[in-house]
Amino acid sequence: MKSVLHRGPVAKLGDLSETRYWVYLLLFPSLILLLLVVAYPTLYGFVISVREMRLTRPALNGWVGARHYIAMMSDRVFWISLKNTAIWVTAAIAIEVTLGFIAAVALNRNVPGTKLFGVLILLPYFLPNVVAGHMWALLLDPRLGVINDLLVRIGVLSTYKAWFADPATALAATILVEAWHGFPFFALLFLAGLKGIPEDLYKAAAVDGAGPVRQFRLITVPMLRTVITAAVILRVISLVNSPDLLLVLTGGGPGNATQVLSLYAFQTAYREFNFGYAGALSVVMFVILMVFASLYIRFTQVTKE
Amino acid sequence: MIMFKTSRGRRLMADILTYIVLFTMTIFCLGPIVWMFLTSLKNEADIVTSQMQYIPRSITFQNYRAIWTQSNFPVLITNSFVVTAITVAICVATGTLAAYAFSRLSFRGRDRLMLSYLLVRMFPAVMVIIPLFVMMRTVGLVDSRFGLALAYTSFLLPLFVWMLKGFFDAAPKELESAARVDGSTRLGAMGRIILPLARNGLVASSVFIAIAAWNEFIFALMLTTGQGSRTWPVGLQLMVGEFQLPWGVLAAGGILSILPVVVLFAIVQRTMVQGLTAGAVKG
Repeated sequence: MKSVLHRGPVAKLGDLSETRYWVYLLLFPSLILLLLVVAYPTLYGFVISVREMRLTRPALNGWVGARHYIAMMSDRVFWISLKNTAIWVTAAIAIEVTLGFIAAVALNRNVPGTKLFGVLILLPYFLPNVVAGHMWALLLDPRLGVINDLLVRIGVLSTYKAWFADPATALAATILVEAWHGFPFFALLFLAGLKGIPEDLYKAAAVDGAGPVRQFRLITVPMLRTVITAAVILRVISLVNSPDLLLVLTGGGPGNATQVLSLYAFQTAYREFNFGYAGALSVVMFVILMVFASLYIRFTQVTKE
Repeated sequence: MIMFKTSRGRRLMADILTYIVLFTMTIFCLGPIVWMFLTSLKNEADIVTSQMQYIPRSITFQNYRAIWTQSNFPVLITNSFVVTAITVAICVATGTLAAYAFSRLSFRGRDRLMLSYLLVRMFPAVMVIIPLFVMMRTVGLVDSRFGLALAYTSFLLPLFVWMLKGFFDAAPKELESAARVDGSTRLGAMGRIILPLARNGLVASSVFIAIAAWNEFIFALMLTTGQGSRTWPVGLQLMVGEFQLPWGVLAAGGILSILPVVVLFAIVQRTMVQGLTAGAVKG
């Protein structure tokens, strides 16, 4: 079947696969790529953060040392962003963990129709932020938002509310949208965790006379601890990192009511072309996240199977 | 109240409660999507009316026609398809090899290297975007579909490798050993045994990163400046800002752009969910 010409290189490669060079050959392409698009840009990012780099004013280009970091300390918007990031991430994750846990417990009972419910509940997680953002902007619109209409009808509100324009409600409204988008992620991981708990544990506990509440406290929570830790930290990273949803919903406004670090850094680069300062902001974010990374490794020990 | 004391009664109550929870959550999850779909079918006059229409009084496909023929939406969608395809191709070509090496071969520094693939995910997107923009500008890859796909591999390739490694781990080792005993080379065992065994996993991992690439917004916003490579999330966002896009047309654009995601998700969700959860649960 195989022609001699075709066999040649393949057979050679087959021989090569028996040598100790094989593993390096397999790893080489992805490693080179990641060095090029991640490692080098990251190092370069540190360099940018101690330089002046404005695309609009090339003449200013040069080494400035820690000037950006010092400027940051007296930058009012930076501190507001830091505070908002903390609130946004904490509140969103608290809601997402709660909703995700309830969903996972309900799905784990395997009542008829669970499969369909599971698919439908997971869907928001896979939808793009841009569409999610506009969808909720429509739902909460001050003139034609259906949620306003429903709330007025049941008597909670007397008039339509401009959720995203009012500094008092803007952050809460974006947290609601983020919770909608993100809680399926937790439902997914918690469900997998619940399925991994042996049924026997519950049976044994029931024999010993433990009720549902004690079973939950003494079996479910401890058995899920690693999954919860892993899921929370992964989510913290992706929430701190991604300005998408806020960029679409509010752009950081009104005022700086919904400004977060990632969005501030992005806008500094994208709108003002002030790459040096934006670089310094993202380095600070990186340092904050590395603290979480070390926690992640310590708690979950992912590489030890 | 007597009913609750029997275990059958309690189970029935729990089942009812389960259904209430599941129905509520489904409405919460799907409600917004359904509302956007209904909006996309309404005339603009019926959307901005003071009397809220829960069921559209008349159905029109005008909004879909408008977004498709009166804007550059088809170009945006094409760009997104191309960028997604290149991203998946790069990840499959390089990531499959790495995932195989991590799953089946032992070598010095394996754990440390795997961990570093995971750590890549901690890097703030913004921190990589700014230097990438400067780099890409230097080599002329700004506003190029290939350049954007290359940028996407920075966060999708590690994800792909980790997910696929899980699927490779799950494929039984015995068949491979048997083939090796029969004189097959490592390459032969990989091509004829492992890859076919992990085929579903390969598809699911590819679909997962395809969806992520299709949906991506921040990198695309920074790295595309013109028609040549602009993807649909960026185009849609800019249309909203520039032209005060009518709600109906925006909704139609939203529905069209999530259509491929929903279809792909429906087809491979089971395997994809397996792959997504395997790593976290094992850890």
